[in-house]
Amino acid sequence: MAFSTETWVQAASFLGAGFSVGFGAIGAALGEGYAAGNASRAIGKNPAMGGAILKNMLIGQAVAESAGIFALVIAMLLVFMDVQGAPMIEAWSLLASGLAMGLSAIGSGAGGGFPAAEACLGIADNPPTQNALTTNMLIGSAVCQTPAIFGMVVAFMLMFMDWSAQPLWPGWAAVMGAGLSVGLAAIGSGVGSGMPAGAATGGMARQPGAATTIRTNMLIGSAVSQTPAIFGMVVAFMLMFVDWNGTPAWPTWASLLGAGLATGLSAIGPGIGNGFTAQEASAGIARVPEASSTVTTTMLIGQTVAQSTVIYGFLVSLILMFIPRGASETMVAWAAPLSAGICMGFGGIGPGVGEGLAAAYTVNRIARNYEGVGVLLTRVMLVGQAVSESTGIYALIVSLLLLFVI
Amino acid sequence: MAIEGADLVRAAALMGAGIAMGLGAIGPGVGEGFAAGKACEAIGRNPKEAGLLTRTMLVGQAVSESTGIYSLVVALLLIFVV
Amino acid sequence: MRLEFNSETLIMSWLVMALIVAFGFLATRKLSFLPGGWQTMGEIMVGTFQGLVADALDERNRKYFPLVITVFLFIWLSNMLGVIPGLSEPTRDLNTPLAYGVLGFFIAHYAGIQTKGIKAYLSEYVQPMFFMAPLNIIGELSKVVSISFRLYGNIMGGSIIIMVVSDLVYSLVLPPALNAFFGLFVGTIQAFVFTMLTLVYISVQTK
Repeated sequence: MAFSTETWVQAASFLGAGFSVGFGAIGAALGEGYAAGNASRAIGKNPAMGGAILKNMLIGQAVAESAGIFALVIAMLLVFMDVQGAPMIEAWSLLASGLAMGLSAIGSGAGGGFPAAEACLGIADNPPTQNALTTNMLIGSAVCQTPAIFGMVVAFMLMFMDWSAQPLWPGWAAVMGAGLSVGLAAIGSGVGSGMPAGAATGGMARQPGAATTIRTNMLIGSAVSQTPAIFGMVVAFMLMFVDWNGTPAWPTWASLLGAGLATGLSAIGPGIGNGFTAQEASAGIARVPEASSTVTTTMLIGQTVAQSTVIYGFLVSLILMFIPRGASETMVAWAAPLSAGICMGFGGIGPGVGEGLAAAYTVNRIARNYEGVGVLLTRVMLVGQAVSESTGIYALIVSLLLLFVI
Repeated sequence: MAIEGADLVRAAALMGAGIAMGLGAIGPGVGEGFAAGKACEAIGRNPKEAGLLTRTMLVGQAVSESTGIYSLVVALLLIFVV
Repeated sequence: MRLEFNSETLIMSWLVMALIVAFGFLATRKLSFLPGGWQTMGEIMVGTFQGLVADALDERNRKYFPLVITVFLFIWLSNMLGVIPGLSEPTRDLNTPLAYGVLGFFIAHYAGIQTKGIKAYLSEYVQPMFFMAPLNIIGELSKVVSISFRLYGNIMGGSIIIMVVSDLVYSLVLPPALNAFFGLFVGTIQAFVFTMLTLVYISVQTK
């Protein structure tokens, strides 16, 4: 089938638009629905505050909507894009653009629902704090949108930059890997940024005096939760901006696609896990503001350890991208690097979530008893996290085997 | 099979429309269901407030619907306009 | 080197500036104990933002209050300009939100260095472990990206949606309703979010 380049590019842009708005609609609707449900619950608890709760719910939903709006914008731009004279690689970059935006909007949309829900519940429980709660909800929700913004930035770049300098093979894999890397990585971080925002807002309703302390901790926790998405974006940039001319087309395409998947997938787990930890830290500080520095320190330690699997994924991505492989057309030559990427990618999810949970429960107890068992708990947490890491390390080993021994 | 280029573009547009609306229906479905469930729970606890709670539920569900409508708009665009 | 200017953005920005100056003039013209309309509006705004700034920043850094309220006024009025037919929002051009994001970034870090001293400021980048330094730096830079693109994405996105829908649907009701939603509602929220985030970034640096 010999179609003109323009045909393929146009087809890809439509598919990309479909992916962008299709995936993008998931997260925002989930988050807004969660907020709406909890708003009903809140009104049931305190019908007199019905008007304030409703107003708060609408504002919170509007911010959570932003990720969906970004996805719609990218979809519209893709549908109406002028594809005259575009090189073939543009087809892949447009498809990747849609995936990048659509996937990254899932997490941020869903995460944005948590602060809105907690703000509504908080208004029902403690009406005088409503302005502080709305403000904190806005801040937390907005910070939660950051991973979707990373996705949007990469999507814009994929759409509008001139890709004719990159060779079609393996350039197509580079742009697809870039889109997948940032899109997938943003899923975990989006949800993981929304959870502490929710807990902080809920905590503020219970402990309005400690508002600043709670908010500071929320911001720190959210920022660290977003680091996996930053890894995804860094890999995406590398894939987009390195000149792949001169590398053998086959099997480098598998390496680049694998690189995108390795970081993108492995960032999901740590993003969510860090979210759990930050959520418990915010809730703990809200309960016991005096414990804030101990709790924050433990939270940071726990979160950093939980991020190890995304660092492994990043390492595998770097190896895949920058250690050259000889030209070879055998099936093994492409199966091995692609499999390495998939292996480390999926392998990073579980330990990320598990270690995050371990740190979350630890932080929870430390907040209740910060002068007593802090050091003991931290030690046990680190041991537990290390054991939980084991399968992640197995995945790393298998990936390295696939890369170097085969 | 002699497929024209224009056919491929049309096919891709239709695929995109399907993906857009298909995936786009997931989120609002789950989210609005959750909202409805919580509303019912709240009404069960506090039957006097049924009217207010139903209204709130509908408003919340309408906002949650908006991204589903975005997907619908893009799907219709892809089917009929391009 | 060629310098390109987006004349539409420049003209609209000057229009917003003129509006703010006019509002300031009207609100303070005859300051009286029982305020008239403009003065009341001014007082409400100043009061709200003074409260937010006092909450977030300590005594030494409350001098940034005028910056915070100016950022809010400029972005808020910019976002709303789009509702008036024939005018476009200066925030629709990526340069405007990016300029404010970079401004906020430099001010936050300057305030941080001023408050904590340069050693404490630099040592924050190697928390909690040494190899986190490049990540912390990228994290700070990404804050600029996120704050600017959030505003840009929401406003630009709104105007694209309005444009496309107005093109497709021959209706008298839908475009103005969309305009009202995106310009007034989303515009106000995003202006407030941008301002609060700038304020919060300053306060995080100075803690």
